[in-house]
Amino acid sequence: MADRCPASFDEALISGHLDGELTQAAEQKVRVHLADCEHCAVVLDELRALRKATMSTEFHSPDDSQWDERPQSGLSLMARGTGWLIAIVWAVFFAGFALWHFWQESANLVERLLVFGGLSALALLFISVLVDRLQAARTDPYREVEK
Amino acid sequence: MTGPRSAPAPVAVTPPSEAQTVILAQQGEAEALDALARSCRQQAYVFALQLIGHPDDALDVAQDAMVRFFRSLGRFDPSRPVRPWLLRIVRNLVRDRARRLRVRRTESLEPDDDALRFEPRDDAPDPEALASRRELQALVWTCLQKLHPRYREVLVLRDYQDLSYADIATTLKIPRGTVMSRLHRARRLLQEEVRKHRSGTGEARDG
Repeated sequence: MADRCPASFDEALISGHLDGELTQAAEQKVRVHLADCEHCAVVLDELRALRKATMSTEFHSPDDSQWDERPQSGLSLMARGTGWLIAIVWAVFFAGFALWHFWQESANLVERLLVFGGLSALALLFISVLVDRLQAARTDPYREVEK
Repeated sequence: MTGPRSAPAPVAVTPPSEAQTVILAQQGEAEALDALARSCRQQAYVFALQLIGHPDDALDVAQDAMVRFFRSLGRFDPSRPVRPWLLRIVRNLVRDRARRLRVRRTESLEPDDDALRFEPRDDAPDPEALASRRELQALVWTCLQKLHPRYREVLVLRDYQDLSYADIATTLKIPRGTVMSRLHRARRLLQEEVRKHRSGTGEARDG
């Protein structure tokens, strides 16, 4: 069977017909076409079978106890965010202090280069990810959507 | 585990009383808030599961969606239906999550077949037909997860969530005509995936 309707017919109308979403005029047009076009009639039958399968599919959903195990409010999310922020600030200060000590006490130039070279590489990787994220946020077409 | 089916969607808050429930919830009425939470969180979870394919991730998304939902409930116009708004929140969270995962990992996860619920129903035909139907449901579920998110979401909204084209347009913020063309493209891609999967399985069995 060809992949497309041999006639110049908008195939999307088949889905509109299947879903009962067409105007009366468009519905009539589709019916007339389906009577003559074997390709579209077969497509309609196959899509109808798939749709029947999806419409009758059921999904598990969690019971109430599972919901209760999760954070229930913006307050808990805020606490979690604040915790992360404090942990990051602490890690930055601690790492800075350790580096300062290392720089002051170690006289070996090779050791200094190895440590600072590795840290610079990590910092560059972090910055590249950050730039990508900022770029994605700026070009996101859904940023105006109320969340 | 108990749970509502996906289509028609679970609606503990019936449409005629929905606006009233929202108004009461906006006024802080505990019973209305509870009713709204129970109804919406199940809908949010099922929709997230249908988009992501993994129960644990879906629960995380649904939980975040509920926080955002109640955070902006005060600004919501009660005359409008709740469902497209709720589903849009979930869909945006799923998009954000997918973007984060693209940064962190490149491999895709297989969908979780345990997400489907196969229980005898009154309108079930003979056992052979029932088995065949379940097989097709599981196959469609697997193939759906292989589609691009743009096509997966419109298919889920129509065929699993049973939303009208107008509601899908509102949820996705696209014109109604685009809904029909994108949905048809999605269905054709799904049909192609199912065919490929069937022929692949057939070849493996024959070989």
